[in-house]
Amino acid sequence: MEEQLKIDFEKLLEKSNFSKKNVEIKRENFENFIEKGFPNRKEENWKFSDINQIISKNIKNLSFYNDLSKPNKIDKSIFIDGLEHNKLVFVNGRIEKIEFDYEEKNKIEMLDDLVLEKSNKINNSLLFLNNAFVSKYFKLIVKKNYSLKKPLIIYNITNKDLISKNINLKLDILLEENSSLKLIEFSNDKSITNFINMNYNFDIQNNSVLKNYKIDNNSNNNVKYSFSNINQDSNSVAEIFLLSSGSEFIKNEINCSLNGKYASAFVNGVFILDKTKHHEIKTNINHLVENTKSYQLIKGVLEATSKAVYQGKIFVDSKAQKTDGYQLSKAILLNEDTEFNAKPELEIYADDVKCSHGSASGSLNEDSIFYLMTRGLNYQEAKKLLINGFLLDVVEKITDPEIKNLIKTFMSLKQ
Amino acid sequence: MLKIKNLKADIENKSILNNFNLEIKPGEVHAIMGPNGSGKSTLSNILSGKKGYDVSGEILFENKNIFELETEERAHKGIFLAFQYPLEIPGVNTNIFLKTSLNAIRKARGEKELDAIEFLKLVKLKARELKFDEDKLNRQLNVGFSGGEKKKNEILQMSILNPKLSILDETDSGLDIDALKIVADGVNSLRKNDNSFLIITHYQRLLDYIKPDYVHVLMNGKIIKSGGPELALELEKKGYENFN
Amino acid sequence: MREKQIDKLKDYKYGFTTDIENIRAPKGLNKEVIEFISKAKKEPKWMLDWRMKAFERLKNLKEPNWQKPKYPKIDYQDIYYYSAPKSASEKPKTIDELDPKLLETYKKLGIPLQEQQRLNGIAVDAVFDSVSVATTFKDKLNEVGVIFCSISEAIQKHPELVKKYIGSVIPLTDHYFATLNSAVFTDGSFVYIPPGVRCPMELSTYFRINASQTGQFERTLIIADKGSYVSYLEGCTAPMRDENQLHAANVELIALDDAEIKYSTVQNWYPGDEEGKGGIYNFVTKRGLCKGINSKISWTQVETGSAITWKYPSCILQGDNSVGEFYSIAITNNYQKADTGTKMIHLGKNTKSKIISKGISAGFSDMTYRGLVDISSKAKNSTNYTQCDSLLMGNKCGAHTVPYIKNKNPESNIAHEATTSKISEEQLHYCQQRGLNPEEAVGLIVNGFCKEVLQQLPMEFAVEAQKLVGISLEGSVG
Repeated sequence: MEEQLKIDFEKLLEKSNFSKKNVEIKRENFENFIEKGFPNRKEENWKFSDINQIISKNIKNLSFYNDLSKPNKIDKSIFIDGLEHNKLVFVNGRIEKIEFDYEEKNKIEMLDDLVLEKSNKINNSLLFLNNAFVSKYFKLIVKKNYSLKKPLIIYNITNKDLISKNINLKLDILLEENSSLKLIEFSNDKSITNFINMNYNFDIQNNSVLKNYKIDNNSNNNVKYSFSNINQDSNSVAEIFLLSSGSEFIKNEINCSLNGKYASAFVNGVFILDKTKHHEIKTNINHLVENTKSYQLIKGVLEATSKAVYQGKIFVDSKAQKTDGYQLSKAILLNEDTEFNAKPELEIYADDVKCSHGSASGSLNEDSIFYLMTRGLNYQEAKKLLINGFLLDVVEKITDPEIKNLIKTFMSLKQ
Repeated sequence: MLKIKNLKADIENKSILNNFNLEIKPGEVHAIMGPNGSGKSTLSNILSGKKGYDVSGEILFENKNIFELETEERAHKGIFLAFQYPLEIPGVNTNIFLKTSLNAIRKARGEKELDAIEFLKLVKLKARELKFDEDKLNRQLNVGFSGGEKKKNEILQMSILNPKLSILDETDSGLDIDALKIVADGVNSLRKNDNSFLIITHYQRLLDYIKPDYVHVLMNGKIIKSGGPELALELEKKGYENFN
Repeated sequence: MREKQIDKLKDYKYGFTTDIENIRAPKGLNKEVIEFISKAKKEPKWMLDWRMKAFERLKNLKEPNWQKPKYPKIDYQDIYYYSAPKSASEKPKTIDELDPKLLETYKKLGIPLQEQQRLNGIAVDAVFDSVSVATTFKDKLNEVGVIFCSISEAIQKHPELVKKYIGSVIPLTDHYFATLNSAVFTDGSFVYIPPGVRCPMELSTYFRINASQTGQFERTLIIADKGSYVSYLEGCTAPMRDENQLHAANVELIALDDAEIKYSTVQNWYPGDEEGKGGIYNFVTKRGLCKGINSKISWTQVETGSAITWKYPSCILQGDNSVGEFYSIAITNNYQKADTGTKMIHLGKNTKSKIISKGISAGFSDMTYRGLVDISSKAKNSTNYTQCDSLLMGNKCGAHTVPYIKNKNPESNIAHEATTSKISEEQLHYCQQRGLNPEEAVGLIVNGFCKEVLQQLPMEFAVEAQKLVGISLEGSVG
C-alpha cells in the first residue's frame, strides 16, 4: 500500500495547484501517515475497532488519488423533501453545489483555500491522511448575531463510479458571537467499498448555538471515519445527535472542549445495526473551566452479527469546579452473535463536581413482551414497540421539532 | 449563659447581621421571629461556628468569648444546633453516629465514654420518650427519612447529647401537627433550670406548644422589638410588613 | 479561626525495623541467585527447572507501561532477591522456639501469635521478608485435613498438589512481574482444603518487608477442593525507608465444584512520606479460577498503603453457575498512586459477577479504577453488576474510572454505574456541630462511603480496616 500512497500523493501534488505553504504541510502530514499507517487495535483509541484490519478486509486495492477535474451529476431525488434547507453538496468528494438561498448573503461566508494545520499539533494518523490528500479545505463562517433561517444540509453523495477509493473531506465552521446554525450531515452512497475520511472543526463563540445531526441511514458497504473537533466559548451550546445505522463501518469521534463558563454540550446517539455492521461512537468531553455541563445518552439495538462500540470519556480539569457531567449507554442485543463493547471513562481532578456514568447491555425484557402480549400484541409487534420506545427516548432529546420529526421518519418511529 | 454584643456578620461584602444584641439567662426560652432573609439562619450558623462569614462583635458563652472556638469545641461546651435541613450521611449508621458524637463530647468534658451497652440503653430510653421509631436508628443517618423524621431525629440527638443551650433553627418547618406536638413535647421535657433554648422561627405556630419567656423580632439583621409571648400573636395578626 | 495546626507529620504506625541478623543472597538477578534461592529452600529439581524456565521467558518480556502511575526505572540488578532472618534458617518447630525479637515484631504489628492462637482461633502464617516463619494452629487444621503451611514446605511435602496447580491460573509467561515472581519467589502460603471441608477457622498471613534494598516476591496458592470453604486474610506492612522497594507477589486461587474461597487483604505497605519519597511499589498479580460448577471466589481489598499500587484481583468464571465478587476500598493521600480494579471473565453459563469499588483520593494523589467485564458468547444467562464510586478531597488529586465492558451474549446483562462526589462543607459542619473534630468527621463520612465493602471483611479485620481508613486520610482536611 505504501507504494500506492506515494504514487497517488505525487500525482495529487502534480495535478493540483496548492500553495507552497500547503504543499509543505501536506508533505509533513504525508510522511507522518507513512510512518504511522492506519491505526490498529494496539492503539487504545482503536482497541475495539481495528480500522487497519477492517480496511484490508473490506477494500481491495485501495487508492488515494481522485480526479476532481470533471463535475459529477447530482441525483436530485435524494434531496430531503418537506424541509426547506440550504445545501452543500459533495459528490464523490467533489463539491458540486453551495446554496444558501434562504439566508442574507453578507451574513455567511464560505472560504475554500485555507492553510492546513501544522502536523505537529495532531496525534491521529487518519488526520494526517486527511491533511495529506484533501483537495479543498473549506471554511464556513456565520457572522456575529446571525441565526440561519433554515437548516444547512451537507450532502455527502457517492455514486457507482467510485470504487476502492479513499476520499477526504475537511470543513471548518465558525459561529461568531450570538449566532446559530442547524447542520444536518446526510450521506447517500450508491458506491461500494470506499474509505471516506471526514474532518470537521467547529468553533462556537460566546452565546452561540450549534445543532449538529449526523445521519448515517442508508445501507452501504463503505468504511467511514468522521472526526469532529468542537471548541466552545462561554454560554455556547452544542447539541449533537448521531444516527449510526447505514454504513458497513463508521466511527464517529467527537472531541469537545468546553473552554468558556456555562458552555454545555449534548451528545446523543443511536446505533441501529444489522448484518455484519460494526459501528463506533467515541467521545471526549473536556471540562476545562467552571460551571460547564455535558450530557451524553447513547443507545443501541443490534441484530444479526453486528457490533457496536461506545467509548466515552469525561475529563474534568482541576479548574473546572461545579462541572456537571453525565453519560449513559445502553444496548439491546437481539442475536447470539452480536456484541456491545463500552468503555465509559471518567478522569477527574476537581472535587466539587457532579459526574456519573452508567452502562447496561442485555436482551429485551421478556416480561415486558409477555405483558404486551397479554394485551393483544403478537410477539413481533410487542418487540417492535419495546425497541421503538427504547430508541425514542434518545430521539426525544432533539430540541428542534422539525428535524426531530424528520429523524423519526428516517427511523420509522412515527406513530 | 449566652451574651451577644454588637454582632456584625457579612457574607461576600453583603451585610446580613448588624448591631445584633441578645442575652439569654440559664433556664430561659427565647424565640426569634423574622421573615425570610432577615438573618435567622445566619445567626444559627454563626453561633455554631460555621465558616464563610466575616464576623465581628462578641459572643460570650458562660462568660467566655467563643469566637475563636471551632464548631466541635462549641458543641463540647454544650451548644447544640437543631438544623433546619438536617444532612444525610450515606452509609453511616444513625446509632454509630450518635455514639461517636456523644463520646466525643463526653471525652472533651473529661467524662467516661459510654460503651455500646450503656449507650444503647440510653438511646432506647430517649427514643421511647420521644416516640421515635427505634428501627430508624439502625438506618443510615437521615437517608430516606421524611422531613418530619429528620426533625424528630434532631430532637432525639438533642436529648441524648443534653446540651446547655439548644438552638432550634426553623424546627417547625415541614412538620405536620402530630410531629410538631412530639417535637414540642420533647423540647418541653428537656426544659430545666439550667438549660436554655433559642427558638428561631418564621411562624408563631410552634410557640403555641413551646411557651417562650421572651420573643424578639428580627428584621434586616437586627432585633427591632422584644417582648413576651404576646408579641408573637401580635406579629401573626399584623404580618411582618405592617410591623414596626 | 483555626489556631491549632493538625499535626501532619503523623507517624506511619508500622514504620519500625527489627534488628535481626539476615542471610542474604547476593544482589542481582541471575541464574546463580535463582539457584541460591532454590537451594536455600531445599527444592526439588522440577521446581528449579520451572523457575529457570520463567527466568528464560523473562528475558523476552518487557515491563508493561499502559498503567496510569508511572515510576522511575527499576534496576533489577540492584535488588536483593532473598533475605532471611538467620535464626529462621533452621526453622523452629514451635512458636516458643522463635527468635524473641521476631515475636516482638509481630506484637508491634498487632499479631501476637501466641495470643492469637489462644484467643481468636485464627491460624496465622507470618512471612517476614522472604521466609515464612511461623504457622500457628497446625494441629487443629491437620485434624480436618486442611493443609496450611508455607509454600516452601508444600513444595517438599505436597509436590503433587503444587505441581498440578502452580501456574495453572497465572501462566508462567503471563506478564513481566508475574514471570519475575515465578523465577524468584521466596515464600508465601499454601492452602489446601479437602473435599467437603469447611475450614474451621479464618486463615491469615502477615507479610512484612524488613530488610532494606530487598524485594518481596511471595507466592500464594490456595486450592479449595469440591464442596469446601475457606476464608483467608492477608495483611501487609513495611518499615519506613527513603528508597522504593518492590513487592511483586503472585496469588493463585482455584475453586473446584461447589467450593468457595473468600480472600481478604488489608494492604498497608509504607506509602512514602508527605513529599512522596520512599514507599513500596506494590505490583501484584492475583487471579482466581472458578474451575468447578457452582464455585465462588470473592476478593475483598482495603488498599491504603504503598507508593504505587498496581493490581487487579480477577476471577475467571469457567464453571457453570460460578460466582465472582470484588469489593475494594482504595485510598491514596499525599503523592500515592493507585491503579487497581478487577477482571471478570465470564466463560461458563449462568455465571454472575459483582464489583463494588470505592476510591478515595486526597492530597496530590492519583487514583484509577480499571476494570474489565467480559461476557463471552458461551456464557449464556450471565450477569454483572458494577458500581464504582469516587470521592475526591481537594483539587490537587485525581480520580479516574476506566471500565472496559464487553458483552457478546444477548442473554446476559451487564450494568455499570459510577459516581464522583466530595464531602460537602455542610456534612462536615453537621458532624462538627455534634462534637466531632474535622478528622473524626471525615473518618466517619468516609467509612460510611465505604460501608458496603467494609461489611465484607471478617469482624477482626473490619475494625482494623475502619481505623486505617481514618488514619490514611489524616492531614487531608483543615
